[in-house]
Amino acid sequence: MGNTMGNMNKLFAVARIKWICISRNASVMLGPILVVGMVLMYKVLYGSMVGGELPPILTGVILSLGISMNICMDGFMMVGMAIAEEKEKHTLRVLMTSSITGGQYFVGSILFPFVLTVAVNFVVLLISQVSMEYVSMPAFFLVSVTASLISCVLGMVVGICASNQMNASLIAYPLLMVFMMIPILGNLSETLRKVSGFLFTGVLTEMTNCFANETRYMVKPLDVAVLAGELVISVLVFLILYKKNGYEKD
Amino acid sequence: MEQNILLQLSHISKRFKTDLALKDISMSLHPGEVLGFLGPSGAGKTTTIKIITGQLRQTSGEARILGTDSTNIDASIYEKIGVVSDNSGIYEKMTVWQNLVMFAQIWGVSNARVEEVLRQVGLGEHRKKQAGKLSKGQTQRLVLARAVLHKPKILFLDEPTSGLDPATAVEIHKMLLDLKAEGMAIFLTTHNMEEATKLCDSVALLHQGEIVEFGSPQELCLKYNTNKRYRVLLDGKEEVVLEQTSENVDMIADWMRRNQVQRIHSCEPTLESVFLQVTGKALSA
Repeated sequence: MGNTMGNMNKLFAVARIKWICISRNASVMLGPILVVGMVLMYKVLYGSMVGGELPPILTGVILSLGISMNICMDGFMMVGMAIAEEKEKHTLRVLMTSSITGGQYFVGSILFPFVLTVAVNFVVLLISQVSMEYVSMPAFFLVSVTASLISCVLGMVVGICASNQMNASLIAYPLLMVFMMIPILGNLSETLRKVSGFLFTGVLTEMTNCFANETRYMVKPLDVAVLAGELVISVLVFLILYKKNGYEKD
Repeated sequence: MEQNILLQLSHISKRFKTDLALKDISMSLHPGEVLGFLGPSGAGKTTTIKIITGQLRQTSGEARILGTDSTNIDASIYEKIGVVSDNSGIYEKMTVWQNLVMFAQIWGVSNARVEEVLRQVGLGEHRKKQAGKLSKGQTQRLVLARAVLHKPKILFLDEPTSGLDPATAVEIHKMLLDLKAEGMAIFLTTHNMEEATKLCDSVALLHQGEIVEFGSPQELCLKYNTNKRYRVLLDGKEEVVLEQTSENVDMIADWMRRNQVQRIHSCEPTLESVFLQVTGKALSA
């Protein structure tokens, strides 16, 4: 019992450290603010263009753009940059030589970014003006939570590979291009649309498009396979890298 | 094994690809003892600490820390030891207090203990200050405060005063002597021989991964004091260095009888010169 309490205390201490570090890192915290700001801005701009209520296609564009951006920027960047900052400031080794286990560091590191990513997804959904009548909340919750988790694990992969914050950005950008841009550009190209179907962000985009187009979204077996498969793959990649060098290479 | 041995290294070797970084290192550490590992950069000091604390695995030999083989230790060992390296970081965006409280939560230490340590390191009045705004000396004191917060049995210090001004280094030395007096065992690596002489009960001179001499600073200095000499300052402000011969002893005695001696010092070697004599290389190289 006491041991469990001790372990939880350690986990929450890491989460608290991460919360303070991330919330005081302006360049990282700009991500979610930018996402919400951009969705609002697009709503106003498109609204003034069409002169009234947005057609479903534009609502879909805004929603998928906001959610894809949020998933990628908050997950990859927030988690990855926070670990890279710890390496840069030489606090990661201090933490890892203070009786924190690899697992506690993992959970503690993704806790705040994960909760924030999920929360911002819901905020984007609410402000996008999509008709709630066609939104399946359980499906949105399930897909959004899984996608946020995958992006946070990928952020851990970015962090484990990066030696500093600059390096973390360089590693994260290709991931950002693939997972953020392909689903967004899927509306313009059939090939990209097909590729998008195999990306966790693509599953999310397809779901939000259904909401915007006012059609019922049903979770398909392929969507479940993509989400589960990519979660497993990202965890495996992380574990392989962790087994090799730990969080920081000597 | 002796009951009160906290740390025991037996024939430790470490090879990085073709490079043999440590060769047959053996030593032990007891409560309240300060053991110094002296050597220039690249001698293997940090590698030794990393092996003992489980951050690196040795190629051969056995390291036992608090009775456990270092290859079998897990994260819980860090609840009983403290580690300070020359680049131990602090959370710059947090206050001094937050920096300590976070680790207090990790170790299950009370806020009263945080208060006590803050006072001990003289940072009590800076508790609300952002850690990134501390001076280098204050930062190092904060690092040390954090390392001793949970009252570790062994404190590993890797070049703790590297780059600090002499006044701050003296403050750190005082803190370390207080901790030693409380019974904490300290494993210190340094290339500063004055620091080692002042703090260490015994020192190991490390050269190219090998312990080339071991003993108390005084023992080592006396062992290599083969050519005994005395530096004498006379009344006329004339300073002479005399070897220990019967004629010189008579001469010094005569000066003393006539009250002509202002100052007299024996010229035994320092740890620096012992290291130079043993390895042919300077310690600060």
